[in-house]
Amino acid sequence: MEAASQFCHERGLPFLEVRSLTKTYQVGGSTVRALRSVDFSAMQGDFVVINGPSGSGKTTFLNLISAIDRPSDGEVLIEGVSTNDLSDRQLARLRKERIGLIFQTFNLIPVLSASENTEYPLLLQKLPKTERVERVRSMLAEVGLEDLAHRRPNELSGGQRQRIAIARALITRPKLVLADEPTANLDSETGVQVMDLMRRLNQEHCVVFIVVTHDPAVTQYAQRQIRIHDGRLIEDDQP
Amino acid sequence: MTWWIPLRSLFRNRRRTLLSVAIIAFGTAISLFVFGFLEDSRLQIQATTVNEYGNLQIASSDLWEDTADGYDYLILPELEAEILALLAEHREITGVTSQLQFPGLIAAGRQTQVVRITAQIPSNKTLNIDDFVIDGRPLQSSDVAAVLMGRSLADRLGLGVDDVVTLTLTTVDGAYNATPLRIVGIYRFTAEQVELRSLFMPQAFAQVLLNTSGVDRIIVNLRSIADTDSATSSIQRQLDDAGLPLEVLTWYELSPFYQQLSGFFDILFGFLTLAVFILVFFIILQVLTLAFLERTREIGTIRALGATRGEVFSQLLVESVWLALFGSLTGVLLGFLMGTVFNAIGIEWRPPGTAEASILSVQINLMTVLPPFGVSIIATLLSAIFPAVQTSRLRVVDALRVE
Repeated sequence: MEAASQFCHERGLPFLEVRSLTKTYQVGGSTVRALRSVDFSAMQGDFVVINGPSGSGKTTFLNLISAIDRPSDGEVLIEGVSTNDLSDRQLARLRKERIGLIFQTFNLIPVLSASENTEYPLLLQKLPKTERVERVRSMLAEVGLEDLAHRRPNELSGGQRQRIAIARALITRPKLVLADEPTANLDSETGVQVMDLMRRLNQEHCVVFIVVTHDPAVTQYAQRQIRIHDGRLIEDDQP
Repeated sequence: MTWWIPLRSLFRNRRRTLLSVAIIAFGTAISLFVFGFLEDSRLQIQATTVNEYGNLQIASSDLWEDTADGYDYLILPELEAEILALLAEHREITGVTSQLQFPGLIAAGRQTQVVRITAQIPSNKTLNIDDFVIDGRPLQSSDVAAVLMGRSLADRLGLGVDDVVTLTLTTVDGAYNATPLRIVGIYRFTAEQVELRSLFMPQAFAQVLLNTSGVDRIIVNLRSIADTDSATSSIQRQLDDAGLPLEVLTWYELSPFYQQLSGFFDILFGFLTLAVFILVFFIILQVLTLAFLERTREIGTIRALGATRGEVFSQLLVESVWLALFGSLTGVLLGFLMGTVFNAIGIEWRPPGTAEASILSVQINLMTVLPPFGVSIIATLLSAIFPAVQTSRLRVVDALRVE
């Protein structure tokens, strides 16, 4: 595992680069600055934990680097390509092929089973059925939910749902996985299991993991820890 | 995208989906039932009209336009033979006959009545009144001074079989002629107007009365009513090519009543279709807007996973395709059931202008099913477009924020 992780860190150029990233919102008559000129970069295989109080700009930061929102100023570069230069369709393609997303509330599609939820991004990629079935089977085995493949989300526990969400995020073999409070709706024991899983997958697959959290227990998994306060990146503890 | 994910999504809120299906089905069924009823009425009137006029009639334009000087429009035997030879080439023709119609005045005791005499060839079964004789006997070729009278006229004049009336007419030379006629049979026809106005007699005797050897029209029956237009244009072309000054009219051109009624049915069906369209469109629009709105966060997730706006739109539209299919098919089944029950009850009704009551029935076949089915499908799909476009255009980040 460590060898794989070591190999990941030997890459030269950053996978993700953020330059002077700024996001402002108009609320009523006033302007709220959610992010103020943030600079950041992540290398292949990084496991980054972002802390910060509520309203500090963590989720805004995550939304911008996951290409589901556009910055007011500055830019996000993924593999050297600025998301500012991409059309809506190209951003969708970037998310589909390069980025995996894990949500605080799991965001599974309620009418689909665990295996179908996992398969969904592959359907978007229009992969052949045989390949989809094989990858879903392998991914569910990796998150330890092979036996629950046919259950609907409402038949699964919180921890199991989050594992399915992780499987869904990783099924496309993305290079960047972004997780927003992945343990917030889990008990502490399940939270530890989920974080162990994410860390293991990070090391095995050389995937960049960026995790936004309030949970101090999550911080111990950080290879790098970042603190955001009042829209500013105020600390970057690199190993 | 796949077809099964929208199908599953459709049934996540079963109560709402069933309500939508019920609304579409109700609209389709009512539309199908009424359309089937109108179509059945139209077919009955069509059959009556063809029974009265044949499928086609060939005559001089002067007859059709009423511009003849006396009996100038008559088709003399030489011309008639030429026409018959020409018609013999048509395989879609099942029968040809000739008729001679002329006005007359009948007197029975102190009563008189203006009538139209239709002189036919008794041995020719094409457009023959024989099948409608309910009392007495049909005409025979050897009959002299014999006539068939409609029951409505016979009732009005208080006449019956073997009674004698006096017919007064004008010959082709303009001379008056009068003859006693024996009523050999009473006929019953679907159109009351025919019963009140038309007397039938053998053609040979009528030609003697009129002092002519001609007829005024050639009547053609076709294998199928659907052949009407093609046969008309083909025969007309042949007549024109042969330089014959004749015009072919179809059964529907000969019957202004059918044209008016058919037009009225079309308008009625148009209004009904519009009403069903509006009902289905606005209710389903409301239902789908709500259904898609409730799934804003899910749509945001799908977009975040990499689905394009187009893919989200297609998925929502496929949902409405399923809804439209379920609703319309259920409606067709319901309409079929309603029609079957209605036909089984066998309600009697005498439509205006007909001589006797007929059984009300509903036609249910592919031609009556397709228009209501199509209207419901189109209304449902159109009603889905606006909410589907709106939902697919949501900003991902905003959609994900919705609780």
